[in-house]
Amino acid sequence: MTPVFTPEQDGFREEVCELLCEDEVRAEIARCRRMPYGEESGLLDVHRRLGKLGWLAINWPERYGGAGATIVEKAILTEEMIRHGVPDNVHSLGIDIVGNAIHLFGTQEQKERFLPGLARGEITANVLFSEPDVGSDLASLSTRAEPDGDHWRLRGRKIYNMKAQHSEFALCAARTSRGPVNYAGITLFLVPLRSMGVVVEPVWNLSEERFDLVTLDGIRVGREDVLGEVDDGWQVLGKVLPLERTGLDHSAKAERTLAALREHALPGCGQRLVQLETRVRAARLLAWRCVANLRDGRPDEVHSATAKWYASETAKEVAVAAVELLGPRALLDARDPAAIAEGVFDAGFREAPGLTLAQGSSEIMLFFVATSALGLPS
Amino acid sequence: MTAEKTTAIARFFDGDLAPLVRRMADRPRAEGGDDGDGREVRAMVWEGLTGLDALGSSDTVGLAELLGSVLYQGPLLDTLTARELVPGDDLGRAPVALAVAEEPWTERDGAISARRAFVGFAAEVDHFLVGGVGDAGLRLALVGAGHPSITMRRYEETSRGEAYEVEFAGTPVAAWAGSAAEWAAALAGARVRQAAYLVGLAQAALDHAVEHARTRRQFGRPVGGFQGPAFRLAELSMHIDATRLLVHDPGAAGHAAACLAAASDLARTVTTQTMQVNGAAGMRSDNDAQLYYRWAAFESVRLGTPDRLRRESWEAR
Ligand SMILES: Cc1cc2nc3c(=O)[nH]c(=O)nc-3n(C[C@H](O)[C@H](O)[C@H](O)COP(=O)(O)OP(=O)(O)OC[C@H]3O[C@@H](n4cnc5c(N)ncnc54)[C@H](O)[C@@H]3O)c2cc1C
Repeated sequence: MTPVFTPEQDGFREEVCELLCEDEVRAEIARCRRMPYGEESGLLDVHRRLGKLGWLAINWPERYGGAGATIVEKAILTEEMIRHGVPDNVHSLGIDIVGNAIHLFGTQEQKERFLPGLARGEITANVLFSEPDVGSDLASLSTRAEPDGDHWRLRGRKIYNMKAQHSEFALCAARTSRGPVNYAGITLFLVPLRSMGVVVEPVWNLSEERFDLVTLDGIRVGREDVLGEVDDGWQVLGKVLPLERTGLDHSAKAERTLAALREHALPGCGQRLVQLETRVRAARLLAWRCVANLRDGRPDEVHSATAKWYASETAKEVAVAAVELLGPRALLDARDPAAIAEGVFDAGFREAPGLTLAQGSSEIMLFFVATSALGLPS
Repeated sequence: MTAEKTTAIARFFDGDLAPLVRRMADRPRAEGGDDGDGREVRAMVWEGLTGLDALGSSDTVGLAELLGSVLYQGPLLDTLTARELVPGDDLGRAPVALAVAEEPWTERDGAISARRAFVGFAAEVDHFLVGGVGDAGLRLALVGAGHPSITMRRYEETSRGEAYEVEFAGTPVAAWAGSAAEWAAALAGARVRQAAYLVGLAQAALDHAVEHARTRRQFGRPVGGFQGPAFRLAELSMHIDATRLLVHDPGAAGHAAACLAAASDLARTVTTQTMQVNGAAGMRSDNDAQLYYRWAAFESVRLGTPDRLRRESWEAR
């Protein structure tokens, strides 16, 4: 199913590309690639520019800083930002996950409190789900929300999240009660991060962007900070997580690496390149099928899992293939004077392992398709 | 004798030294860039290895596999190759870096000028064995490392190791070494050793993944108890077994390029899967999974990309 865009959507894509190709924007993106080790970008001028135009969260209503467009325009923006090398985690965490969750499940007050700032690129948010002992099995999380009058105090440790150091607040999953099944008793909170009772520490990793260890040491939250219903966070999670799993970010990353690979590959690699190109094209089609499902109000979890698995595995394959085909010069960091393609291969290789883990690991997608689509016993 | 020597070296790497060895050429980035400790450990390991007569080993393939399994990073493999081309007496126990490329260079009045990419441990060796193509075809020259005509720059790259771009600008030749045919034979040996190194590295990465799969619990059981990861690990183990037999086969040098290409694919696949099994924890700087992944990337293409090696192997028929 080839994505069919309206002339207006094609026009929007062109406008986005024009903006992202402006000298200033390109210079800012290049600066991000060569930041001193240990530093990384948060919200950039380009986010604020896009925000001012109402494009950053273009599918949200105007009153919340968007432009009332559809998810297709939003996906066009995401695709082009990644194709043009704009660091994407701040955007995907703040807008696609946390912002979207508030947009869909937040109270009027929460929408007014958070969405305009997010949409304008003035504030951002991150996601506090994983814990040291809790990864794939999120339902077994142990961070506690202890009652404190008509409030709660959050206690626990959240790890492997990103951008906490740049975020004003976080979407945090915590346990408000314990019942016979793990899924029940989880509540989602919107937690201010720059407060007493929250400690953010870096957990260095091989990629350009650090993980954070966030210790929640009794920060106080109230009913107005609960997203959805108390004890019913699992329902919200079940709806929000598949929404960001279109695979579009992964297919756009794969396209970007592949474009550079085509430019730098030596003669004789043609067949392998054709193989990769075909996979990347298929990944993009799967991703756009998910976007179309969302546009039509028919989200399909099997399609989402398929797109996430296929596109992330493809992006990882392209990243590793670049090393295989180009040799050591592909490994040069953007900061090295001899780097090729502005270091996209090295950064891509170091980012690659995370692609098939974050947002639902490959194994979890495979399990879902095996049991839900193929009907195999679980 | 040989087996004993390898066992003694294995023992040398055991215990407390192993974690230091694994990180001996891994320069931290965000955590601070000083490599003083790394250099010290590398010097100590060199002393230890030469003291155990690693340079005189007759089972260099077994030795290379052992080096890969502890993620040894240093000039030993290059030195072993250089010693096949330069009389050992000229070198003593000194470390040598290979800087050979089938690329043009200038030789004039007993001095050479060339630029060589991805030379390992250039800042810590006593000699370079430089190769280049002139009017007389490929030639090799031994040069002293301390000469002021030599300049170098360390690369910033994925493995964060000791790879350098080295410029020789009229560097005097201490000795001419080996013919093109001798180089071809030495290169075949170097490739088989590199393949063995990658097999050792892959095995160590797999062991790391298996240990994690045994101990990390999700959904009430170890993740290795789920058949998805378990079967994948078993499959990798069998691939390692097969490739190990290939590289230790007495005829391996006859298929050196193809063997190395196979080991190269193996190392990237195993380390990529090791990352997956380890989950986000494997990405942490303090976790060895990412170390295997980054080093496999560099070591698996250091002596040629698998594509090029296979083409060469095919065309040589
Ligand atoms: C780049 C990156 C960004 C991230 N950002 C965030 C963030 O912003 N916020 C946040 O909260 N978390 C974040 N995470 C954490 C992420 O959610 C977890 O990595 C993910 O849930 C998997 O958990 P784990 O890594 O602990 O792996 P584990 O759950 O420990 O799993 C280890 C391995 O076993 C496999 N496995 C697990 N269960 C099964 C099974 N039943 N059958 C077969 N195989 C199985 C997994 O797929 C994996 O390969 C991020 C992770 C990465 C890599």
